[in-house]
Amino acid sequence: MQVSSEAEAEARAQLRARDFWSALALIALSLFFLWRTLDIPLGGANSAGVNSAAWYTSAAMVPLGLFGALFCLSLVLLGISIRSGGAARALSAAGLGWSGAEIARFSALALMLLAYIAALVPRVDFILASALLITAMIAAFHGRAQPRPLVPLLAMGAAALPALVLYFPRASWGQHGDDWVTLALLVALTLWHQWTGPRGPARRLTPVLAVGVPLLLVCAMAFGFRQNVPNRGGLIFSQIEYGYYVHLRPVWRS
Amino acid sequence: MEFLFGQLAGFGSAFAALVSDPWTYLYLIVSVFLGISFGALPGLTATLAVTILTGFFGNKVPLDYSLIALLGAYVGAIYGGSYPSILLNIPGTAASAATAMDGYPLARQGRGAEALGLTTTASFIGTLVGTLALLVFVWVLLLISKNIASPEKALLALFGILLSGTLMSEDLAIKGWIAGLVGLALAMVGMDPILSETRYTFGWSYLLSGIAVVPVLMGAFAVPQIIAGMRPAKTGEVAALTGRILPNTAALRRYLPTIGRSGVIGTGVGALPGVGEDVAGWVSYGVGKTVSAEGDRFGKGSLERLLSSETANNACIGGALIPLLVLGIPGSPPAAALMGAFKINNVIPGPTIDPEIILRVVAILVLASCTMFIMGLFTARVFIKVLRLPQTVFLPLVMVLTTIGSFSVGGGLNDLYLMLGIGFVAYLMNLLCYPIAPLVIGVILGGMFDETFRRSLLLSDGDLSVFVSRPGSAILLALILALILGPLPGAKRALYRLKGRMT
Repeated sequence: MQVSSEAEAEARAQLRARDFWSALALIALSLFFLWRTLDIPLGGANSAGVNSAAWYTSAAMVPLGLFGALFCLSLVLLGISIRSGGAARALSAAGLGWSGAEIARFSALALMLLAYIAALVPRVDFILASALLITAMIAAFHGRAQPRPLVPLLAMGAAALPALVLYFPRASWGQHGDDWVTLALLVALTLWHQWTGPRGPARRLTPVLAVGVPLLLVCAMAFGFRQNVPNRGGLIFSQIEYGYYVHLRPVWRS
Repeated sequence: MEFLFGQLAGFGSAFAALVSDPWTYLYLIVSVFLGISFGALPGLTATLAVTILTGFFGNKVPLDYSLIALLGAYVGAIYGGSYPSILLNIPGTAASAATAMDGYPLARQGRGAEALGLTTTASFIGTLVGTLALLVFVWVLLLISKNIASPEKALLALFGILLSGTLMSEDLAIKGWIAGLVGLALAMVGMDPILSETRYTFGWSYLLSGIAVVPVLMGAFAVPQIIAGMRPAKTGEVAALTGRILPNTAALRRYLPTIGRSGVIGTGVGALPGVGEDVAGWVSYGVGKTVSAEGDRFGKGSLERLLSSETANNACIGGALIPLLVLGIPGSPPAAALMGAFKINNVIPGPTIDPEIILRVVAILVLASCTMFIMGLFTARVFIKVLRLPQTVFLPLVMVLTTIGSFSVGGGLNDLYLMLGIGFVAYLMNLLCYPIAPLVIGVILGGMFDETFRRSLLLSDGDLSVFVSRPGSAILLALILALILGPLPGAKRALYRLKGRMT
């Protein structure tokens, strides 16, 4: 019982140390936005053709109140943190309680998601990009005693880099060079996962899930719900779309 | 009495229209199945189920089918959370955390099938109690809400955000308020609703139309779950089930007062703006512990306590829809996702809502609870198999689902960037024990707060007394002050002193 209450006290002390930093960040954020709010006319100006705009109709009034309140609450939080000893703990690295392994795990995931959303989804075929992400995430984190995100992260990075560097402008998003690179990396990563991954049904199913689920989703969205999907000119999807409109649809329309 | 018959007749015709449409069944079965599966998978929540389906069905099918899909998933997911709670001792959703306390000991005693049968029935009855309350009270409140003007609307939005911040915060209440204020601040981005002045767009034209709700929902609820869940973990040992999953009628008769009480508590808690099913489950559980004669059995496999939490969390659904439909203020985080679906369908919940929509919502809830009951009794073993799926395999699939759902709602790639940005912030907020629900509710209600607050001042020529001169707004202002001053040590001491004098 005593051990559990000590652990709780330790967790609370760590939380107050984190509160110290979050309060400082919130103070900086609220001050920045208060400064930005000063750009919005606060009464008396000629706003939207209304000469007699008063302070209470100004677009700045509610934001000023909100960021002012945020600033005050952040100060209160900072005070609570300092009084609970959070500030003293916050200045030592141990006080934050963030382990190196957790930082590595979060960073690897954040970079994978960033590569997927910012580089691959706009430029690479959605089925290939999603298959690479699914394979990378499963290969890095499933069934291993310790995560091994380095190789999957490198694969994601190697796909994202040429997509960003060679096909950065929107005009070149329809080209297929980055699609082929992603396909090659997907095959290589799948082989690596099959070779080194933990045994079990998940390893065998990974390629099926990685390709099958995005394929199903993108087809359902494009042809079932008739919605826009990312990168219609992608290597695989453009072929599917061509086949659907040229071969399949005329069959049931006639 | 005439009012009640009128209501029932309206409900009857909405129900008949739904029952006679074969597509209803397809949407119901698929959505309730998906909902139960989402609830049963530890790491996925009811809010996430409704949010992801909003991306798929929000504006792609007629509103009726969209509502069937979202409400079906909502009802299914809240119920589905009981599976891992009972069989794995891991709550599938926050709403079923209290269920695990007595559900798992029952499963360990070899009474897992009985516990599942009872929770299925209790969830079914709970949903119906909440739905009945929705049918009756929504109309009473709609009549009252016709007299609600801008000052009351502004204060109600603020009260909802603060109440949600207070009750959803696991740490200090002030952190919940900060989260709510950050949400409100996000809603200030774009053109302001009265003078069309641009605010905080930083030259990015996408932001001129403001922060879109669906990417915020996806980012706030899906991305942090994915980041938090992607870590090596073994799937827990599923407790063995013996016997058939059927309702124990003798136990149901015995605990009928408990079920009724929990239904009322769940509905009441749900009706509070911004307070979700998890609070309803715990409040009902706590009340059950206080009033029960089986107090010594609590935590060791008490059926009464199991029924207390499970009935309440499902009854909360109907309750949570009352403030959503009457005032446009979501009663729970999944209701906030539903609000997003209403918004992208150009339906504005509130006093001006089409009454037909309310009757259809009630009819859909009844059908969804029946579907859940049938699926729960006859296909439970399928959902038990779902429990064995490791989250490191299904969470990457959820990420792809979230991406394509968010992309197709309308904003394209910009929505995805926004979703990811909000997702990282929400994950950090989770780490620092800031609740996410008030942030989302702040984003949803921010526009309404800004517009109604300034309109109140515009109509009163800047006279701030407009917020105290009307009885409704004065009451709301008093409640807001009580909420803010309540946690202060000075206020607590004064309350204790007052209590001491009274006794």
